[in-house]
Amino acid sequence: MTALLTKRIRTVSEKPWIWAFLGAFLVWLATILFTGGTGAGEILSAALAFATFSVIVGIGQMYVITLGPGNVDLSIPATMTFAGAVSMKIMDSQDVMILPGLVIALICGLLVGIFNYGLIRALRIPPIIATLSSSFLVQSCAIAYGRGIKIKPPELLADFTTTKIAGFPILAFCVVLLAVVMSVVLHRTVFGRSVHAIGQNARAAELAGVKVDIIRLATYVQSAVLAGLCGYLLSGFSGGASLNMGAEYLLASIAVVVIGGTSVAGGFANLPGIWGAALFMFLLVTMLNTFGLSAGIRLLLTGVIIVGVITLAGGRRE
Amino acid sequence: MIRSKLKVLSLGVAIGLTAWSQMAVADTSDKKIALSNNYAGNSWRQAMLNSWEKITSQAVKDGIVSSADAFTTAENQVTEQAAQIQNMILQGYDAIVINAASPDALNGAVEEACSAGIKVISFDGIVTAPCAWRIAIDFKQMGKEQLIYLAKHMPDGGNLLEIRGLAGVFVDDEISAGIHEGVAENPQFKIVGSVHGDWAQDVAQKAVAGILPSLPEITGVVTQGGDGYGAAQAFKAADRPTPLIIMGNRQDELKWWKEQKDANGYKTMSVSIAPGVSTLAFWVAQQILDGADVPKELVVPFLRVDQDDLEEKLAGTEVGSVANVEYSLDDAKKVIAGE
Repeated sequence: MTALLTKRIRTVSEKPWIWAFLGAFLVWLATILFTGGTGAGEILSAALAFATFSVIVGIGQMYVITLGPGNVDLSIPATMTFAGAVSMKIMDSQDVMILPGLVIALICGLLVGIFNYGLIRALRIPPIIATLSSSFLVQSCAIAYGRGIKIKPPELLADFTTTKIAGFPILAFCVVLLAVVMSVVLHRTVFGRSVHAIGQNARAAELAGVKVDIIRLATYVQSAVLAGLCGYLLSGFSGGASLNMGAEYLLASIAVVVIGGTSVAGGFANLPGIWGAALFMFLLVTMLNTFGLSAGIRLLLTGVIIVGVITLAGGRRE
Repeated sequence: MIRSKLKVLSLGVAIGLTAWSQMAVADTSDKKIALSNNYAGNSWRQAMLNSWEKITSQAVKDGIVSSADAFTTAENQVTEQAAQIQNMILQGYDAIVINAASPDALNGAVEEACSAGIKVISFDGIVTAPCAWRIAIDFKQMGKEQLIYLAKHMPDGGNLLEIRGLAGVFVDDEISAGIHEGVAENPQFKIVGSVHGDWAQDVAQKAVAGILPSLPEITGVVTQGGDGYGAAQAFKAADRPTPLIIMGNRQDELKWWKEQKDANGYKTMSVSIAPGVSTLAFWVAQQILDGADVPKELVVPFLRVDQDDLEEKLAGTEVGSVANVEYSLDDAKKVIAGE
């Protein structure tokens, strides 16, 4: 009993997501010290607005990575672009089409997710290759379908994605709620526990009665659906879908998961850390931009700082 | 008297030239031209490929060349494009038009093509191999033009925000160098912040939104194209007055400009390279195959949009695309003649 208690206390003090938030705070502090305090609130507000999108795809990616070694979804950028392009075209800037547009974006994600897992399961292709190759197909569909057309989002959707209340973006608030829900799903439901179990030992999980196939399918579909949702919202936020809108979310989705304290080897997920890491990533770039350093130094420092945070966040648990 | 003789003479030369060029058209009718393109994932490249398709399919139909196929690599990798060029050599193309992933890393493959007797014409993303032709863009001048415009319209100067392209790419360094040269010549301007927007609206929006809170009042934004609309969105989201943002000919940028112009008389200018430059490269290739004497270094003209012709250019630009012109054989001849 006492042993259990001490273990509890230790796990609380060693929560790996602390480091991402700490990193974000320090980077923010360094930025406003440099500017002499100007723009402190605005920088945070901007960070929240942009981190939102990394968090949405990060959550999906985290579930996938937690499935165990080799599991990763590389089709996120293509899915975002595809869902964004299709939904923008269908909505055609009309407010009444907002809900149908959302449904279409989610269906796009659903289809890509099913296709991904179909490649992995039926053709026995490793997930990293399967999702990479499907991303080419999906991206080509987006190009063929949209031809790079930038259609404005419906006014109402653009307002929803950009409105702030006292500097706090409404969308960020919604995504905090989403994170809370997904955190409960992760730790308190059969689905979430099963994802963990598969990540820790797929064979043992199967023998224990976990429906490995269905859980894995659901996880890949969930990731793609969240990517679709992200593409839809991002198109609303940045005034339309573009062919390369998802590009930076490939590495971002993986980075926020890892920096957030989730184990790359799978089996141990950490949701709050995704928010910390997403804020950290945005604030880090902002800090280096504010310092006015050259691009080379900026990239160098970004690498060094990320390695530092991951070492701190991941090193303790081993 | 002498003058009129000269006139007759020049008329004769002109007729001769026309006859020669008509004859020339027939000469390349069995020639095959290939386009080796390294990237297709943005609106500029899409327009570039569309222009190629439009002009070359007509040229094939007219019997000017026998084929003009376009190939794009999937991953924007040097190795992939080098392999692609080697395939083209084996397939027996007479000329290869290249938009290259790297200025020097493809030189090996390009030289192989040259020694196989294939004419290699690079444009936009040029290659440095001496045997190849280069249709280059004076990116430095593109940066400088922006400051010339700003100096004319804002004689008092002010603070500038610079949005750069993709870090580590030659084009980004060149445009930026031109901008900084322009600033050095017009010291009333000062660059107070610089971010990388990767020539993409959403990346630019994100980067500008991040740095904006820490900056003083901005009077102008100097850009590289593809990033102006994103910058405008970021200024709007931050509730800051919209500065003069130089645009890069993208349809969404021009449309936004038009809306501002109608609402409050907003003034700016827009400059970029027309994606139709691929068709210029096509005609240059055709001329080279035809035996015309073409200098190895050619320069592409800019496509500039100003306050007066904004409506006209916007109307001619497809939604989601880039302001474009397709070049004709005559345009190519003018560029070859250095006009």
